[in-house]
Amino acid sequence: MTTRNRADLPPEQRRALRNASIRRGGVYALAITLSLWILIPIWLIATMAFSTPSNVRSFPKPAFPSPISTDTMTFFINAEGILRSTGNSIVVALLTFAMSTLIATPASYAIARFIFRGRDAVRLGILSVRAFPIVILAVPLAVTFINFGMYDSIFSVALLHTALVLPTSVLVIASVFASVPFELEEAAQVFGCTPFQAFWRVVIPLTLPGIAAAGLFAFVTSWNEVFGAMLLTLTNRTLPAQILFSLDKASDPFKFAGGFFMLIPSLIFIFFIRRYLFSMWGQVTK
Amino acid sequence: MATIRIENAVKKFGDFMAVDDVSLEIDDQEFVVLLGPSGCGKTTLLRAVAGLGLVDSGKIMIGKRDVTYLPPKDRDISMVFQSYAIFPHMKVYDNIAFGLRMRKTDKQKIKGRVEQVAELLHIETMLDRYPSQMSGGQRQRIAVARALAVEAKVILMDEPLSNLDALLRLEMRAELKSLLAKLGATTIYVTHDQIEALSMGDRIAVMQKGKILQYDHPTRVYDRPSHHFVGSFIGNPPMNFIPATIQRHDGKLVAKIGDFIITPDDVMTAPLSTYDGKQIWLGIRAENMEALRAPADDALAMTVSVLEPLGSMNLLTIHAHGETLKLATHPDFVVKPDETVWIRFPTNKVRWINRDTGHTIAPDLAQVTA
Amino acid sequence: MKNQKLLPYLLVLPTMLYLVVFFAYPMVSALGLAVTGETRYLALLDQPDPTASEIGTLPMQTDVTVTDRLRAEETLPNGRTRPFYWFYVTGVDVNGDSITGWVSQQNLFVENRTESVMGRINNGTPVREWTMSHINTMFSDFRFQSAIFNTFLMIIIILPIQFLLAIVMALVLQARPRGNGIFLYIFAVPMGISDLAAGLVWYSIFTQQGFLNSFLVSAGILDRPFIFIALGNDGWILLAIVLAEVWRATAIVMVIVVSGLQAVPTDYIEAGQVFGASLWQRIRYIILPLLRPSLQVALILRTILAFQVFAVVVAISGGDVFTVLSNETFRWYDRGDGGYNNPNVASAYAGLIMIISLAISFFYLRAVRTQEEVAKSS
Repeated sequence: MTTRNRADLPPEQRRALRNASIRRGGVYALAITLSLWILIPIWLIATMAFSTPSNVRSFPKPAFPSPISTDTMTFFINAEGILRSTGNSIVVALLTFAMSTLIATPASYAIARFIFRGRDAVRLGILSVRAFPIVILAVPLAVTFINFGMYDSIFSVALLHTALVLPTSVLVIASVFASVPFELEEAAQVFGCTPFQAFWRVVIPLTLPGIAAAGLFAFVTSWNEVFGAMLLTLTNRTLPAQILFSLDKASDPFKFAGGFFMLIPSLIFIFFIRRYLFSMWGQVTK
Repeated sequence: MATIRIENAVKKFGDFMAVDDVSLEIDDQEFVVLLGPSGCGKTTLLRAVAGLGLVDSGKIMIGKRDVTYLPPKDRDISMVFQSYAIFPHMKVYDNIAFGLRMRKTDKQKIKGRVEQVAELLHIETMLDRYPSQMSGGQRQRIAVARALAVEAKVILMDEPLSNLDALLRLEMRAELKSLLAKLGATTIYVTHDQIEALSMGDRIAVMQKGKILQYDHPTRVYDRPSHHFVGSFIGNPPMNFIPATIQRHDGKLVAKIGDFIITPDDVMTAPLSTYDGKQIWLGIRAENMEALRAPADDALAMTVSVLEPLGSMNLLTIHAHGETLKLATHPDFVVKPDETVWIRFPTNKVRWINRDTGHTIAPDLAQVTA
Repeated sequence: MKNQKLLPYLLVLPTMLYLVVFFAYPMVSALGLAVTGETRYLALLDQPDPTASEIGTLPMQTDVTVTDRLRAEETLPNGRTRPFYWFYVTGVDVNGDSITGWVSQQNLFVENRTESVMGRINNGTPVREWTMSHINTMFSDFRFQSAIFNTFLMIIIILPIQFLLAIVMALVLQARPRGNGIFLYIFAVPMGISDLAAGLVWYSIFTQQGFLNSFLVSAGILDRPFIFIALGNDGWILLAIVLAEVWRATAIVMVIVVSGLQAVPTDYIEAGQVFGASLWQRIRYIILPLLRPSLQVALILRTILAFQVFAVVVAISGGDVFTVLSNETFRWYDRGDGGYNNPNVASAYAGLIMIISLAISFFYLRAVRTQEEVAKSS
């Protein structure tokens, strides 16, 4: 194929080509600007997290840590209650992940595969749960937990978080199940499987990534949640609750290191889940 | 012994009657085709035999066992799905071995059987690959291999060739036919393609709107359709149907198309006696009419509107008295549009159809439904 | 095989049960908490005798006049006796009627048992009843107005910015510039960031010795650092919160918009190009209308989430200087120091938030639905 020299083209075509590359350039510039908008604040706080405490308190603040030091992070991690509450957060998030996935999966299968009376009502009911901010859920749950002697336990926080993520998990996992053709399960049944065996041997292997994504989402939501955790715990705090509680007495190094520390799981999590984000939310908007 | 017997099967979806009181008997090792347009109930019926969509009422027997409500895995059947339903997360080897594994066959036996079947279908070099790396035609072979591997007494096939391109379809049709003949399994094959049906079946059950209209050997279904629908569905081009009136002429009952008279054979006199004065259809296939270039007393004059030279024959579209027919002639028979041809209707090839019910009028044609 | 009919219901049961127990029931009881209270009522007797019959009841803390008294004796467990008094009192009950009867001294506060003519009921049996007192407390709290005002202000400012930004980001991604995968990751990163972390990040920028001041001073624009976050600087605090929320939560709207965009068949857009529509016209007449369902969902979701903004406010401004509804809810519930430990008023706030979010969702659904229906019927 012979490529024509740009200069040989008539002016109209030259202009069109130039406009196209201007547009491409514009899009690229816009993308970079938006990326910087997101990345720079992260960079800034990372800078603080890895500067020495004295540099943290300095003014004006440097754009690059010098020297790079782990003192501030160490200070934060060793601060009162941090390690313990991090452990609590991990436990709560794991519990939330496990409970929400286990409870949601059967319901998701029912919604994806069966047409039963009340199916729409169930979906509507589940959707409407998400219309309520956690604020209105946490207060009565806290009161209820107190009445049942379950106050100040990380298990009760996990119960709250599970209630929070259950609707999303149900809908996401349902859409993942729906993407597997039912014929595959039928084929498995013809060749010797009971309906459950067919589900286990065919649907689960194919949907594991999607289920894992929903589970990861539950994990991170639980890790990040702060309002309910504050309400439900006094001595057995989760990490965000502990940080928030300490904020008014905390120094800047503590705050910056704490902020960065909370960020890390998000960065990792989104990296693993990014492919699934759009299919997840695509189905959920129906 | 794997005979299949369906007794008075009924299946409804809401108000829609998908299978309307169907009874069918299939002999051991017979290859039966369920043929019909989409929505006629053939797939529903097949799935009922498979156990994938249970009947509302009726009985299904395989051999001596009543399997009507048994789950698929207990029926000793095998199936090829229209979309192949090959498990994407398993290698080809594991797909084929699946049924054997579920039956807890020992490893050595599985290996031997899988390789044997894969060779039969010419995919023995691909056992280690994943289905996503393979073409549609290859996946179809995997589906067939999986079905053959378990050596079930009954093999069910749901339009297995319909997703293949035309050339592949031709190839696979012949391959499948020879493969299945060697197997000795009872087979039910569902298709909407009448050529497949004619080519492969020992017997064809033609279905329409949930009912079986005719169940017979391919040649009889082709030559002696029991119903207007069967005649028009089978054969390419479809059977021609010409309206005619039964009248008395010289003391005999004849069919009149305008002034043209067709005298039925003697065997038809009795059955036609009740149709005196009524309108019926005369059915005749394109290749069974005789075309003459010159007038004759016993030939009807018709005008040519289109000539399609199809290579192995010429397909003419001809009309007269407001009726249009398709006529197949030898490729050397050349006429031009608007010319006249004279058509003879050999009475041994003319079929007589009741216009109201669509059923064929005949003394010896039995409606074989069970 | 007939129990197939039951199967879906059984599968759905655990989820529905869980939601009823941990969601529906608490919500209902919260509403109950907000509008009920416990008041103690004391029964007035017609004789100075514990077994006498009741004439009427007065709520605790009611002031009464003492018109008569009777000295009686009670026997202590050790056999000794000591005097105690019955008082004949008159007071006004909840209906406004005047009631007169006897009360024993343990249920009445008097300064002097033998001489006082005024007393106060200081005991009674608890009774649950409807009350507006919690709601009144909420409305009359001096922070209430600024909480509501700030919350709505935040939402009104943040939402349009986020939607605009999200649509721009989504369109950028759809245009597939080189390195699309990296941009995808970067744009989506804020989705996993908690509002606490986001608050701390922007605190580091806006705080007195933070990055913004560092930049302004280093660049010579200011001589001294400006105190952005201070009492009375509501505008700057609002800006910091808005920036933090836009920074953090636009990602979720973007993801919904991208999913919606992916559902728009490219055929439509290409048809637009063929028939002469410019980029802006294509966006306005083809893409946006087809995006409407996704935008609707995103709108509702985002508004609901906006009511939950809590940690951002506390991280940036500490919760006293600038407040929002969720912060007030927390403050009234807080059982630690500085909290009011009043679950009833906290529930009143929660109920208020719920009503507002329901109303807004309903309004959104209505507003968008009507346009669709209009389109369908025309």
